[in-house]
Amino acid sequence: MGSSVSHAAAPPPPLPSPSPPPSSVGLAAALPPKQDEKAEPEKVDWLNLPCPIPFEEIQREALMSLKPELFEGLRFDFTKGLNQRFSLSHSVFMGSMEVPSQSSDTLKVPTAHYEFGANFLDPKLMLVGRVLTDGRLNARVKCDLTDNLTMKINAQLTNEPHFSQGMFNFDYKGTDFRSQLQIGNNAFYGGNYIQSISPHLSLGTEIFWLGHQRKSGIGFAARYNTDNMVATGQVASTGIVALSYVQKVSEKVSLASDFMYNHLTQDVTSSFGYDYILRQCRLRGKIDSNGVFAAFLEERLNMGVNFILSAEVDHRKKDYKFGFGMTVGE
Amino acid sequence: MASKVSLKGKRKAGKGSKGPEERSACKCFKEWSTWAMKKAKVITHYGFIPLIITIGMNSEPKPQLYQLLSPV
Repeated sequence: MGSSVSHAAAPPPPLPSPSPPPSSVGLAAALPPKQDEKAEPEKVDWLNLPCPIPFEEIQREALMSLKPELFEGLRFDFTKGLNQRFSLSHSVFMGSMEVPSQSSDTLKVPTAHYEFGANFLDPKLMLVGRVLTDGRLNARVKCDLTDNLTMKINAQLTNEPHFSQGMFNFDYKGTDFRSQLQIGNNAFYGGNYIQSISPHLSLGTEIFWLGHQRKSGIGFAARYNTDNMVATGQVASTGIVALSYVQKVSEKVSLASDFMYNHLTQDVTSSFGYDYILRQCRLRGKIDSNGVFAAFLEERLNMGVNFILSAEVDHRKKDYKFGFGMTVGE
Repeated sequence: MASKVSLKGKRKAGKGSKGPEERSACKCFKEWSTWAMKKAKVITHYGFIPLIITIGMNSEPKPQLYQLLSPV
């Protein structure tokens, strides 16, 4: 009895302290160190190239960084989710919208509108509709007909006759290529094709025909991307050359630059911008060869509440646009 | 010369006999397709958003009707 009590009273033996077992040193010497693996180029499987980016998104990194939706005035967006797939959105805008004018002066028209929208997002079917107070409807439908074939419909319908537009797209996705056929109103027919040539390089081409104006065009595009940078180039028979380069400097920062040359109007534009994606905010700024400075800030105040500031300053045309707004909901 | 004139006359008569029927068939088709496109445009314009709302309200899990109108 006494002995059992003394055994119970004895403290449990101490746990062994964590120390690297001596055998791992031998293993580490036997296996090649990790740095050597990264330095060796991976063997390219030429029959198994990755699927390329869709042709219309070939410049998407540059567009996301350099072309935020700048606006002037007040903007308020409210998205209410009723379901995982179904949501309604209400959006109010009060401010000036620019109207394209022939002269070099900018023509601003004060507008105010309320937009009601409904979204249904399913993996196989996506329906997005937006209707404005002046009766305009923006409709987008994306439907996966099979695993590889997708149909997209894009339409802007207005109450005024002859101003409505619609476009049907049929996309086919292969193992290392994508092709698309477009049919639009005003007898617009277009098609494009993009193919992966190597794990980093993809080349594409597009062709279109406008029936009512008897115009046709052909264009070529190339995209080279690695983990840290994306470079794209596009040439079209309409006389447009567009190049872009985006470099990811770190996890939070990326720099982008863009060059566009229009041969018919002898117009050259180039812009340089930055994109900071931080924990609570996203700040994008750019400077243009036309002397335009722009910045766009989205600050996350709370879960689902974002505060937006937009600024665009053009000293040459004396056009100053400042906007603020709030986005509530996902 | 007389034969050439008669040939020309024959060709014109040949075209004329086929023409009106084909042209009216084409016209009918164009008129009907234009009428159909106009109706389709009006139906889409008024019915697209209600269509999305019906599909959404019938998807799982079914949301309640008051959730459609309340701001919460």
